[in-house]
Amino acid sequence: MLNKALLEDVLSAALTTGGDFSEVFVEDRFTNRMSLQSTKLEKSLSGRDFGVGIRLFKGLNSIYAYTNDFSKEGLLQAANAAAQAIQGKADKAIILPLMKQNLNAIHPIHLMPNSVDKTRKLQVLRQADQIVRDYHSSISQAIISLLEEEQHVLIANSEGTYVEDTRVRSRLTINAISSNDHDMQTGFYGPGRHQGFEFIEDLNLEHYAKEAARIAVTMLNADPAPSGKFPVVIDNEFGGVIFHEACGHGLEAAAVAKENSVFANKVGEQVASELVTYIDDGTIKNEWGSINIDDEGEEARKNVLIENGILKGYLIDKFNARRMNTESTGSGRRESYKFAPTSRMTNTYIAPGKSTPEEIIANTEYGIYAKYMGGGSVNPATGDYNFAVNEAYLVKDGKIDKPIRGATLIGNGAKTIQKVDMVGNNLGHGAGMCGASSGSIPVNVGQPMLRVSEITVGGKEAN
Amino acid sequence: MDLLTFRDQLFVEGEKLGFSELELYYEKQSGFGCQIFKGEIDDYRSSTVIGVSVRGLYNGKMGYAYTEKLDEESVSFLLDNIKENSKLIEDDPQELFEGNANYEKLDFYSATLTEISIEEKIEFLKEVEKKIYEYDHRVVQTDYAAIQDQLVEKALFNNKGLALQDRNNFLFVVFSVVVKEDEEIKSDFYFKLTKDLKSLDTDEIAKEAVEKSLSHLGGKSYPNKTYPIILKGQAASSLLATFSPSFSAKSVQDNQSRLKEKLEQKIASNVVTLLDNPHLPDGIRSGTFDSEGVPTKQLTVVKDGVLKTYFHNLKTAEKDGVESTGHGHKSSYKDSVGVSPSNFYVVPGIESYEELYGDLEEGIIITSLAGLHSGANPISGDFSLAADGFYVKDGKIVSPTNQMTIAGNFFEVMQDVEKVGTDLEFSPMDYYGYIGSPSLKIKGLAVTVD
Repeated sequence: MLNKALLEDVLSAALTTGGDFSEVFVEDRFTNRMSLQSTKLEKSLSGRDFGVGIRLFKGLNSIYAYTNDFSKEGLLQAANAAAQAIQGKADKAIILPLMKQNLNAIHPIHLMPNSVDKTRKLQVLRQADQIVRDYHSSISQAIISLLEEEQHVLIANSEGTYVEDTRVRSRLTINAISSNDHDMQTGFYGPGRHQGFEFIEDLNLEHYAKEAARIAVTMLNADPAPSGKFPVVIDNEFGGVIFHEACGHGLEAAAVAKENSVFANKVGEQVASELVTYIDDGTIKNEWGSINIDDEGEEARKNVLIENGILKGYLIDKFNARRMNTESTGSGRRESYKFAPTSRMTNTYIAPGKSTPEEIIANTEYGIYAKYMGGGSVNPATGDYNFAVNEAYLVKDGKIDKPIRGATLIGNGAKTIQKVDMVGNNLGHGAGMCGASSGSIPVNVGQPMLRVSEITVGGKEAN
Repeated sequence: MDLLTFRDQLFVEGEKLGFSELELYYEKQSGFGCQIFKGEIDDYRSSTVIGVSVRGLYNGKMGYAYTEKLDEESVSFLLDNIKENSKLIEDDPQELFEGNANYEKLDFYSATLTEISIEEKIEFLKEVEKKIYEYDHRVVQTDYAAIQDQLVEKALFNNKGLALQDRNNFLFVVFSVVVKEDEEIKSDFYFKLTKDLKSLDTDEIAKEAVEKSLSHLGGKSYPNKTYPIILKGQAASSLLATFSPSFSAKSVQDNQSRLKEKLEQKIASNVVTLLDNPHLPDGIRSGTFDSEGVPTKQLTVVKDGVLKTYFHNLKTAEKDGVESTGHGHKSSYKDSVGVSPSNFYVVPGIESYEELYGDLEEGIIITSLAGLHSGANPISGDFSLAADGFYVKDGKIVSPTNQMTIAGNFFEVMQDVEKVGTDLEFSPMDYYGYIGSPSLKIKGLAVTVD
């Protein structure tokens, strides 16, 4: 992508004003997006992103410059411009010699997206579309999209790191829309993996497309959700988004280093119910949020964040590691060369417990069963979160009762994780996109079915 | 390779390969952003990026591709991909815009803005940050103290002779302040977009930023029920933004809008007029032509509650047998042409924000909404959203509330607007367009307080 001598020149140029760390991130990414709507292939878009990000640190100052002028002059100019942001003299503008590292590729790819004919891809979209439309007469629209990316990265820094990686991601998103005379509802499922077209071709379309259609049809006939405080049973897979919002973001060094998190300075303390073990693991084979190396060149790893309710550690990138006087945990991630990396999640999940899903429902006298979660957000400084439930039911006398819609859950992350009172044994992961200061990145959220003794549910039926 | 050489080579090679029509869209973004934390530069970004997207008509079908690399290899990469993509497309054929001479002669470029040095911007941040800490002892720290400027240059060419250029620049500052009293932690943020940094007063900003956060301390719970609501400008504009796709002819034609078959009908109360103004001097989305080269002009979308038109691009306009309204939009060169508002807002009324809540016997003021990307159904209009705000009794603010949710339906809210304030504010979230609203008084919404 760029040769070693040029990389060394750029890394050195960035340090001429006294910086103590410099880094180059080169990205070459191919993207395909295909979208079927109203049974027609409406969008088929291909593109190539190519650019370079140059970063330098001096103590707790961080400077980032990016460009897609990849000529030698352009790169040196960008490095110099970045260096000008700090005013000082190079005491020892020395960089360690670059030695190419062998990548430990733990996520095998068999069919590179660009090697597969698009008509084969269109076949899959059509099949999914047909399954959704055949599901029920109230299905009025289906939008099926395929997203594929091949991202080639090169990361080199003044500490001698010099490594290249290729990340391949494939995702199928299925949107089903149901309607009657006065209403429209939607259902969604979006399986994705750090894998090639083999994942898309082997997908159980029957399952995913039917689920999306079933959610849309079920919600069309649902009553408005009640308001108030209830026990909430959250199902596995994408249900894990609650802990992604409620505690994952608060465990990122970006918030912790500046003590803008309720979890700052609490390592070793009981911060959650002892049923909760919370893990971030970028090494799970071919999962959507998996990585070989992070965007600072550090190898992926498994980080235990909370163990039996005790806070064990945080997700840390190189810059925040400085403020915290510690080391990176392989958690520096970014959307593209247009963003400086920061601490982010990969595949984050609640470890399985002992209860069966049947036991959890049977032990709930009155509450809400959140089968499929939507997205949400959190204010890391306060820990206040909110998120939507895409498919929900009332639970009455230990049984799943009628479907309800429009349920939004709000609360405070630090309090909610204390209130987990049952954890199931059916761990599952779900794919999503997470947005924060270093852009939108693929992450998995995961958990087994679990129950929180009390969450505030906001619905239309104000009691 | 420079842009014009790239264009010429692309059009020549494309025509050789059998393309009947070709269009090149170019975007250059240059920006500087900086963030201060306790007097230190915590984040500093400078950038220049270009990107082009090309669409072409091959055997009567339109294909798309984009790249960020202007070289010979990219010419063939683009043409090969457009050809392959066009073969699969099953959508109706469409022609490129011939162009006409009626473009407004407007420039949204502020020279004043480019004259401010990076040092001045950093000094500005440091000064405000310092004043924030000095303003009140309950200030813990800032979550963000940031400045960002952006220059966007666009050009559009096609092989029918169209050649257009536009540019727009702006700067914004964000200060998010964390405050603490006893064990209660609250934060809110101050956001300001400007074309003139010197017009901003650092004392005023520090004061407003800190007081916004302090105003949430002492939160209380109130009974869950339906209350009359004041949606403050920021909250009202983010709600309008979330549901703005309903006004797009694309959504209507795809059966994804409840405004289908509602032209010339009453869709909002009499006090609601919605205007799209692509020539707003301070608008992020201001420009003289849209992403397809169609001239932009002011458009009244809702007049006194009556829906007058949808937003159209060339394709939706052809389907409906009308003229494009100049709302063909690409979110960037990476996207194909969709439909989107430009600077779209509720036209202000005559009462101030204070007068709006001064009339309430009992009610809730909503200052901000969260979870809009997940807690709202953009098609049905149903929403259940996290909210912050205040409880009002006998025309006076009694206290902030604990975190709330408000639930309702956007299309019902439009009918239930009783009064429109004077305090027009735009939402910093510009994904759906640059969307604004003054504070609105709403008949009632279901409120749940944590």
